[in-house]
Amino acid sequence: MMEILTSRHWLEWAITIAKFAFAFVPIGFILLLIPLERRGAGFIQDRQGPNRSYFKLPYFGRIRLFGWVQNACDGLKLFFKEVYAPNHVHRILFALAPAIPFAIVLISPCVIPWFAPMVFTFGDAVIRIPGQTVDSEVGVLLLFGLSSLSAYGAVLAGWASNSKFSLLGGLRTSAMTISYEVCLGLSLMGMLLLAGSFRIDEIIAWQDAHVWGIVAQPVAFFCFLIAMIAETGRAPFDVAEGEPELVAGFHTEYGAMQFGLFYMGEYSHIGINSILVACLFLGGYSVPFVEMSTIQANVGISLGVLCGLIVLALLAFLHMIYRYSRWYKTSSASNKEVILREYSLYKLLAWAAVPVVLVLGILSALFFHPEYTIINGEMVYGAGVAFGTALIQLLTLLVKACFFCWVWIWVRWTLPRFRYDHVMHLGWKVILNIALINLVVTAVIAKLVLGGN
Amino acid sequence: MLPMIYFVLLGLIAAGSAVCVFLSKNPLYGALSLVVTMVSLAGIYGLLASPFVGVVQVMVYAGAIMMLLTFVIMILNAARDVVTPRFDRVSIFVLPAILVLAGLLAFVLISTPLQFHAEAVRGSVALTSATLFDMSKEGPGYFILFEAIGLLLLSAMATAVLLAKKRLGTPERETVSKEVH
Repeated sequence: MMEILTSRHWLEWAITIAKFAFAFVPIGFILLLIPLERRGAGFIQDRQGPNRSYFKLPYFGRIRLFGWVQNACDGLKLFFKEVYAPNHVHRILFALAPAIPFAIVLISPCVIPWFAPMVFTFGDAVIRIPGQTVDSEVGVLLLFGLSSLSAYGAVLAGWASNSKFSLLGGLRTSAMTISYEVCLGLSLMGMLLLAGSFRIDEIIAWQDAHVWGIVAQPVAFFCFLIAMIAETGRAPFDVAEGEPELVAGFHTEYGAMQFGLFYMGEYSHIGINSILVACLFLGGYSVPFVEMSTIQANVGISLGVLCGLIVLALLAFLHMIYRYSRWYKTSSASNKEVILREYSLYKLLAWAAVPVVLVLGILSALFFHPEYTIINGEMVYGAGVAFGTALIQLLTLLVKACFFCWVWIWVRWTLPRFRYDHVMHLGWKVILNIALINLVVTAVIAKLVLGGN
Repeated sequence: MLPMIYFVLLGLIAAGSAVCVFLSKNPLYGALSLVVTMVSLAGIYGLLASPFVGVVQVMVYAGAIMMLLTFVIMILNAARDVVTPRFDRVSIFVLPAILVLAGLLAFVLISTPLQFHAEAVRGSVALTSATLFDMSKEGPGYFILFEAIGLLLLSAMATAVLLAKKRLGTPERETVSKEVH
């Protein structure tokens, strides 16, 4: 045992253990996605969306945080409701089913690289940290294997509920999973063929060296996106839930937090899939147009630019608040005094944050100069540079993933839902064939142009 | 030491759930136990330093084939209406076969020393692909066999579709109805 412990530096162990916290990133995406979905639906349908709940602050009055308070209330309600099972269900499977997708969600981000492999000197030691929690060579396959298991939750829920609607929902889920797993794998194969590896960090390195996957494999990208949306069972592929036909599909009989687990499982699955698409087709953590060595050499200025971007986002937010305020002042809304009071808090916070971030950025740009030592002919920087670079890369990845989160919501509230046989037709007769042809064409071109074995 | 502990745990889970497949009266519970067996087998492959085979085991067997089996069990509603008896006439032939096989396996296991060399068995992705498809190095590789199996599976699938069509399709040919959606 001891030789395992002493084989690495203590800092390496600490970071390795700290990286397990990344398992909760998809859970964090729930906090982003649920308000985004509900208010985004409102935005697309030209209505307000749920934002009426509030908490009170002394001077500023009712604070609603653009609907986030409402979602917190809904979550609390789900959490404190009685966990209830009807009489006719199969107890064990009924209780087990909601846990499966949620448990899988906690495991599956282990192969996603959050930053490029860190190499830095700490004291005398040279420390290498891979970007993913589990540094395995099967990489993306592990993710697919796990996500194919997560459909058992829905299938078992459908069967254990002992109700016709649930059973139909479970049946449809299993059929959809089988069909779209195939499309998902095949559409990805072209990208794997080009990169020559299953490891996501090597795929990202390939994209960094050549072009983004969305340019190299546009057809595969669209097949992959469609198959992914279908695999999570969201509209327009929500045949497993199918409100018009099946009440609520596989979770008809569920209530309280058991339903909440399905709900959270679905949303964090969306989060994982967004990160995966960003990794495979949008260059992952690599910052566009900037080499990683450039960032490392000028890490102070890079952090300064990052702070500048944050200031820009804050100013955009302030612009939005001021526009709303102006609109409310001239309108005849009866509650405009309350809303203007609330907005004054946001203005205060944002204006307080702007100079702080600005000063931080300027300070880091002026005074953060990296020092390097040359080991085996490569420049190796200190721990500060490594963490700064990792932060920039992590934020890049999350921004790309958030863009895809919006794409999912956009698709859901724009396209009409498919009928069940249309979904099967699309999966087996259209996307599968397109993905196969794409794979063959890619293989031939890769053989001719790149001359691989 | 550590791999041994993991191996014993995974082996116990695999063997236990395999016994559950045998004992469960409800086909769906049997199928689920089989899934657990396959996942723990995948863990054992991982212990043998061949994560690729393990992941393929999870993807193909636990993910796809068992999902299909669950689908079939659910769609036939076998789980609710039919409770299969644990022993019937076929068991006379099956049970001795299982016992003989178990005896053979036990003999092999006992006669070979049980130890783990993480370096001895290697099943990395590169090695697997080189063994299967690389013609330049040693031997012709297995890719012709691989293609032949693919062709065999394809023909089996085509036959199954043909058989199903013959049985289902013929009476419907007379009653062609215009569907209006």
